Amino acid sequence: MDETTLEGWAPEAGAAVSLAAIIDKAFDYRGNVTVVKVDGSETVGFLFNRNPDAPEPFVQMFDLDGAGPLTIPYHTIRTIRFTGRDTAAGNSYAAWLRAKEAAKSARRDA
Amino acid sequence: MSVPLSQMWAVSTYVIRQKLARRKRYPLVLMLEPLFRCNLACAGCGKIQYPAQILKKHLTVEQCLAAVEECGAPIVSIPGGEPLMYPDIGRLVEELVARRKYVYLCTNAILLKEKLDAGLFTPSKYLSFSVHLDGLREEHDEAVCRDGVHVQAVAAIKEALRRGYRVTTNSTLFDGASPLRMREFFDEVMDLGVEGMMISPGYGYAKAPDQEHFLRAQRAHELFSKMLTNPKRRWRFNQSPLFLQFLMGKQDFECTPWGNPTYNMFGWQRPCYLLQEGYAATFKELLETTRWENYGRRSGNEKCRDCMVHCGYEPTAVNHTFSTWRGFRDTVVATVTGRF
Repeated sequence: MDETTLEGWAPEAGAAVSLAAIIDKAFDYRGNVTVVKVDGSETVGFLFNRNPDAPEPFVQMFDLDGAGPLTIPYHTIRTIRFTGRDTAAGNSYAAWLRAKEAAKSARRDA
Repeated sequence: MSVPLSQMWAVSTYVIRQKLARRKRYPLVLMLEPLFRCNLACAGCGKIQYPAQILKKHLTVEQCLAAVEECGAPIVSIPGGEPLMYPDIGRLVEELVARRKYVYLCTNAILLKEKLDAGLFTPSKYLSFSVHLDGLREEHDEAVCRDGVHVQAVAAIKEALRRGYRVTTNSTLFDGASPLRMREFFDEVMDLGVEGMMISPGYGYAKAPDQEHFLRAQRAHELFSKMLTNPKRRWRFNQSPLFLQFLMGKQDFECTPWGNPTYNMFGWQRPCYLLQEGYAATFKELLETTRWENYGRRSGNEKCRDCMVHCGYEPTAVNHTFSTWRGFRDTVVATVTGRF
């Protein structure tokens, strides 16, 4: 079965979900995200690192052109939207086995 | 004996130097990932699920060499991604060989013949092609999710051997593997004339599509015991015999996550080749700021509970050889007798 995905998730940091939790989810996410900053500006790209233990906690990204790493302090981030395709979803081993079995059946029937 | 004496000597003297220097944590094999791009999409692989701009990127040779110098490990393993898709792979290998690093170029071998024909490499005792083969034809093609890859890999192995290269195989085993079929596979691989085989249980990458087929510890011990008990004399494994004993449940080891550090375009990966919990900018920062106590089977970390993968436990096995008389004796006995 294919795993669930956060693709399309657009949370707002608050009582229900903290900014730190959203950042952790974005760090685990295998697609591009949109980092929305406190000043209203946005950065789109792949978030590959976060360090909440640094003196000034930060995330790091490569943008859509692969440029970077861009380092963005936690305190400048308002929220993160999961805007890119989740590359880890929808490609299950079970699906491949099903396709292989279907191909075998087709060959037998031919 | 599957590992050449010169390589054994280089690794042994390196480990002894670390011991004499009382280095508590030292690297044995640098896992250098110049790119994530691959020409396969294997179900068990968690390495290639990235957006297009990341898959298009790669490290420069200079970045790779700086990481190699910084790390200092005597062995450099180049996985990926598929390293033969790295545009500068010829120059990178040449530079590493010039630095007398023992290089294991881990490849699915689909492009190997083409690259050999192009004259990209020169045979050397420092260079081994470590060809991914997860079993006999049916099992391998199923593992890599594409028919015909086994045939290509075997043809490429023969071609590389014919040209005088060192060739090993690396096999990842998942739940459901048949010990009998694997024993047949060992025969087949040795018939090809390779220098040795490397085997390891798979790891349940959080991002790998196949989560249901990873081996749990107890089942892994049973599988490897059935596979490796009464090994044939002709089977040669290019890895520590104590690691094989660990896989069989005969050794109780703890993980050495810093033993095979990983460097890629994101930096130095914390804490190991398999888990991605963040990146350090330098190797020194990786060693000094990673909370190592949070990893390994005894840490209680559930991500580590069932892991028995070579990148964490082979360094432990090698360290054990040089830390205790018993470890040294067990290694010598297993190496000489060929029994684990």
